[in-house]
Amino acid sequence: MSNPNDPRQVENEKEKELIARAQQGDRAAFAALVRAHQNEVYTLARRLVGDPHLASDVTQEALIRAWRALPKFRGDAQLSTWLHRITVNTAWTQKKRAKKHAGVPIDELTAIAAPEGANHPAVAGELLELRGRLRAALDRLPEGQRQVVVMKDVYGWSHAEIAEVMDISVAAAKVRLHRARAKLAKDLEEMS
Amino acid sequence: MSLVCELAAPFVANSAVDEIDVVRPLRTHTAGCLKCQARHAAMSKTARELTALADEHTKAPADLEWRVMSALEGDLAVPRSWRTPMAVGTAVVSMAAAVIIWRFRPRNPRLTGRIPSFREER
Repeated sequence: MSNPNDPRQVENEKEKELIARAQQGDRAAFAALVRAHQNEVYTLARRLVGDPHLASDVTQEALIRAWRALPKFRGDAQLSTWLHRITVNTAWTQKKRAKKHAGVPIDELTAIAAPEGANHPAVAGELLELRGRLRAALDRLPEGQRQVVVMKDVYGWSHAEIAEVMDISVAAAKVRLHRARAKLAKDLEEMS
Repeated sequence: MSLVCELAAPFVANSAVDEIDVVRPLRTHTAGCLKCQARHAAMSKTARELTALADEHTKAPADLEWRVMSALEGDLAVPRSWRTPMAVGTAVVSMAAAVIIWRFRPRNPRLTGRIPSFREER
């Protein structure tokens, strides 16, 4: 049942209103959407391409593409999901253009923050350590494998969506993910 | 460490992340193998951490919103990675243009020769 006082619902309604205004060409409304989503789009871009400058360009281009495609956005999915898809597509295109950019350690990709729900210092410390190793292990993965893991295991994309974006078959996406996870597990084991 | 454990490792990792059973031929082994169970537990923890990464956001560059909105306004939104090469290029082209203009500047015939003295002019 909908609760008009639920802050998340209020946010959703506000976002829907901003989307509707932006679809009519209201740039101020779009700027508000950019402000609301730029961090998550940038984070995804960095996880996908590594290099912060390239990620910045990917984010910029993705948001511009989003503006152009906004009239076609029907609201079937969440705006953030839709933006993720555009970002992945953009990153894929940019990656082809700028192969010269080398990857940057994933250590730098996210600010080190205490994991949620880890109130006890020992637990928080253990989780922080695991997260640090996880970032390093992700960094070790070949780019294609890393992207599949990021899309599937971090952002929860389906195999079909990954296959479509990466222009590979669903079976190939599954195989790549299977290998990536195996390598991730092995690297994490070696690091511990 | 048994060979079966190594063969099972990728399947254990996948079953932990997807929260499904290990493929049937390896199930009997993994059910009774402490090593495989430890790996399964470790990968389950990893899977939870991977999911948690989705909520961790890096702060976007401060000028990003401006760059996006400038591009939409039709301004020249230059990707950051192009800025230095573009600045250098602009400087080189400007200097070349200045040299060419100086070299082929129109000459005033009155100023090319000797500067007449005040008396001669009178």
